Amino acid sequence: MKRRTAILLTVITSLLLAVFFLFPAWMVLRQAFEGHRADGTFFFTLEFISMVLRNPIYQEGLINALVLGVASTLASLLIAMPLALVGQRFEYPGKRVLGVLVLAPLILPPFVGAVGIKQLLGCNGALNALLIRLGAMDVRVPYDWLANGRFFGIIAMNALHLYPILYLNIAAALVKLDPTLEQAAQNLGCPPWKRFWRVTLPLTMPGVFAGAAIVFIWAFTELGVPLVFDYARVAPVQIFDGIKGLDKNPLPYALSAILLLVAIGVFVLSKWAVGSSRHGSTPRPQGRASAARCGPWRAAACSALFLGVFVLAVLPHLGVVLLSVAGRWYGTILPEQFTLHHYLEALGNGLVVPSIHNSLLYAGSATLLALVCGLAVAWVVERSDLRCRGWLDALVMLPLAVPGLVMAFGYLALSQEGKVFHCLIGSGGSPFLLLAIAYAIRRLPYVVRAAVAGLQQSNPALEEAASSLGASPARVLRRIALPLITANLAAGAILAFAFAMMEVSDSLILAQKTQHFPITKAIYTLLGTLGNGTELAAALGVWSMVFLTTSIVGATVLGGTRGGVLKL
Amino acid sequence: METISTENLVKSFGKIVALDGVSLRIEAGELFFLLGPSGCGKSTLLRCIAGLETADSGGIRFGERDVTGVAPHKRETALVFQSYALWPHLNVAQNIAFGLEERRVAKADMKRRVEEALKLVQLAGFGQRAIDQMSGGQQQRVALARALVVKPRCLLLDEPLSNLDAQLRLEMRFEIRRLVKSHGLTAIYVTHDQEEALSMADRMAILSHGRIAQIGTPEAIYRTPHSANVASFIGETNLIAATLRETNGQTVTVATVAGPLSGRLSDPEWRPQVGAAVQVSIRPEAWRLSGQAGDNVIGGNLVERNYLGQRIQYWIDTAAGRQQVVEINPWQIHSPGEVSLRLHVRPEDVLVLQETQAPNPQDRSN
Repeated sequence: MKRRTAILLTVITSLLLAVFFLFPAWMVLRQAFEGHRADGTFFFTLEFISMVLRNPIYQEGLINALVLGVASTLASLLIAMPLALVGQRFEYPGKRVLGVLVLAPLILPPFVGAVGIKQLLGCNGALNALLIRLGAMDVRVPYDWLANGRFFGIIAMNALHLYPILYLNIAAALVKLDPTLEQAAQNLGCPPWKRFWRVTLPLTMPGVFAGAAIVFIWAFTELGVPLVFDYARVAPVQIFDGIKGLDKNPLPYALSAILLLVAIGVFVLSKWAVGSSRHGSTPRPQGRASAARCGPWRAAACSALFLGVFVLAVLPHLGVVLLSVAGRWYGTILPEQFTLHHYLEALGNGLVVPSIHNSLLYAGSATLLALVCGLAVAWVVERSDLRCRGWLDALVMLPLAVPGLVMAFGYLALSQEGKVFHCLIGSGGSPFLLLAIAYAIRRLPYVVRAAVAGLQQSNPALEEAASSLGASPARVLRRIALPLITANLAAGAILAFAFAMMEVSDSLILAQKTQHFPITKAIYTLLGTLGNGTELAAALGVWSMVFLTTSIVGATVLGGTRGGVLKL
Repeated sequence: METISTENLVKSFGKIVALDGVSLRIEAGELFFLLGPSGCGKSTLLRCIAGLETADSGGIRFGERDVTGVAPHKRETALVFQSYALWPHLNVAQNIAFGLEERRVAKADMKRRVEEALKLVQLAGFGQRAIDQMSGGQQQRVALARALVVKPRCLLLDEPLSNLDAQLRLEMRFEIRRLVKSHGLTAIYVTHDQEEALSMADRMAILSHGRIAQIGTPEAIYRTPHSANVASFIGETNLIAATLRETNGQTVTVATVAGPLSGRLSDPEWRPQVGAAVQVSIRPEAWRLSGQAGDNVIGGNLVERNYLGQRIQYWIDTAAGRQQVVEINPWQIHSPGEVSLRLHVRPEDVLVLQETQAPNPQDRSN
């Protein structure tokens, strides 16, 4: 009975993943590696790949994407490692609140933040105004931070957005670390800094690898941030720009295929690195080292570190908030006057209100879908004895390795007139189903991890007890299993919802008619509109951040950070 | 109340064989114990009976009904878990009412039965408490009440007392036996604590490596273990290699390196040949320190002692190896270094065992 259910669930979820995940990815690869003969037959070719690799523009794009990926990962690590170590070791004022606050940037959309950055760092932006006021800069020759430092701007935005992933992974590894291991090193005369290099770091490597792979893939294929920075010489943007001539040109496919292969390569490499490190399997510590209380100065420094990172990470978003209420903000540090006019105008704009409605619909449906599938997969993985459950677990994590851009590209190709997914396009060209599924598939890993963590924490005996007292499997699920993991599920769902709301690549590529635009595409379109487009975009950005803040507060209240959501 | 029987149950987890052909029959109303070292398969057997594990082959019957393929929630057993498995999101009364709700008992009736169950385990008035407000002993009793309240066909207990402190454990032994007997339940109790089994069981089965080594009443198993394995698992024993010299019905004489000993055969159906290699099992408390020479006496030197108040343990080197000797309520206390002590044992306390364990031991005790 239980076994049959498990097999059924495995088949259904695998089929869903095969159709909506493996198939589109395969399509992209096919287009990239398949040549057409005159007689209509196909053959395998590396021609397109080599054309991309020989093309100096694509070459530059790829190298820039790689550099952005690596640099963003290293920068995230530089932020995350000290935070995680300090958080584990010391007691300081506001520790709990600060621990949650530093996670907030993860769901604050960098795409929106970039709008704020332009206002802060542009030629006539707040920073220059401040420097001029201080007499450090000549009014006549303002420095163009963005034009000259665009590359670093993107790295900074990525790092400030993605460091929470590494932070959570390292923190999880540190919690699992048996404190006696460090105490033993200390007892044998190892000084603190050496202990870090010789004991702590090697033992937290699995966490670092797991987190770094996700951060790298994310930054390597990031589309939204370079777009807003007007930085076109990077592969994801080149792919995005290549969509227009999609039918004839196989090169964007080839470029996508290269991104996909690199991403999968890094993912597999990180899994291998985590797996081959025997440290990953150190047994759970019996006792836990309590965090050390420290003097007022040091404690204040710890709090300041967390607060500083948080402020830095949300600064662009503060810029957006200011921009949304700014009457006139040009060449001054702060806006000269404040107004709610943009919000009012936004409400009358044909893009704004429908886009909020659309995003809530798409992201809401996607979350529901991810929740149902995620729960099914988690149950099979944690509670059944099927041999293939390890494979299912691996398959369901794979969407983390496949760039959203590549998936969106596959979906686009498959939903053209006459292709398989065309039936998913609703009346009037509505991308509702397509986007809901695309969002859901890529958020599935987070929900699965959350649900698996919940099931791991709850003793199977609790379910067996109910079963032995006469509850049918469905009743056990409803009365015992689900109530016990509600917090985890809620945390996973809310994270999935937040990520779906702020999704950039699928949204930009798959929503093609104005009335179907989700928030992100509406923001992107508004940014390109003359007049007060930027301010309207900022107002819409603030709306979206209000939704997201509500959801993370909800997630924190319900599940705290214990939900295991991001401990990949 | 009904009988429970298993026929040739086999269950393996990967390469580990947890149950290797287990057949037993538990009588209606019996408090039956499954006893064995950890990893012997006793918990797996219990979980198969509850339906939480599916056996690879073999069958299970409740009375005349074959329940082998029946889902756990339709078996009407009630399992008391080692970890209690009380649901943290429900309070004490809700935990106890759960099984009644699943059986669609009417509201008023349910309330009355929950109250009764609470009274039965001496927790009247605790119904609205949250689970984490209860002590370990109280949680144990809630788990027991939750299982008893549904009037199960069969009560299954999986090491229910192992998380309690020693004093509470003693009290709960009598409590559980009283509840099981007053409800007239057939109950199966898994434990690795031999004292628990000896003091509570009607009958018990000793499991070893997924097989039943012996089934019988506590007295029969303690006094007449069929193998050296069982003898050393239940209580302690001194094992001496010997050769069969003479048989006279159940009474036999064996030759050991320390001289001849008279004893009895462990298994009434065993007909050993004179000259066969056997093992002799003598419990530490069966040895008496006596000054006189005579039959069933061997000599030795005292090497160590351990005074425990109500009893004293001695280790005495003899020609047949080091013997552990226990004297209850000792008066004269010997000191290490004393030589030429004489150990005497009654023939009925000298148990002669087959050297190797019988391949498929049967229930021969009743």
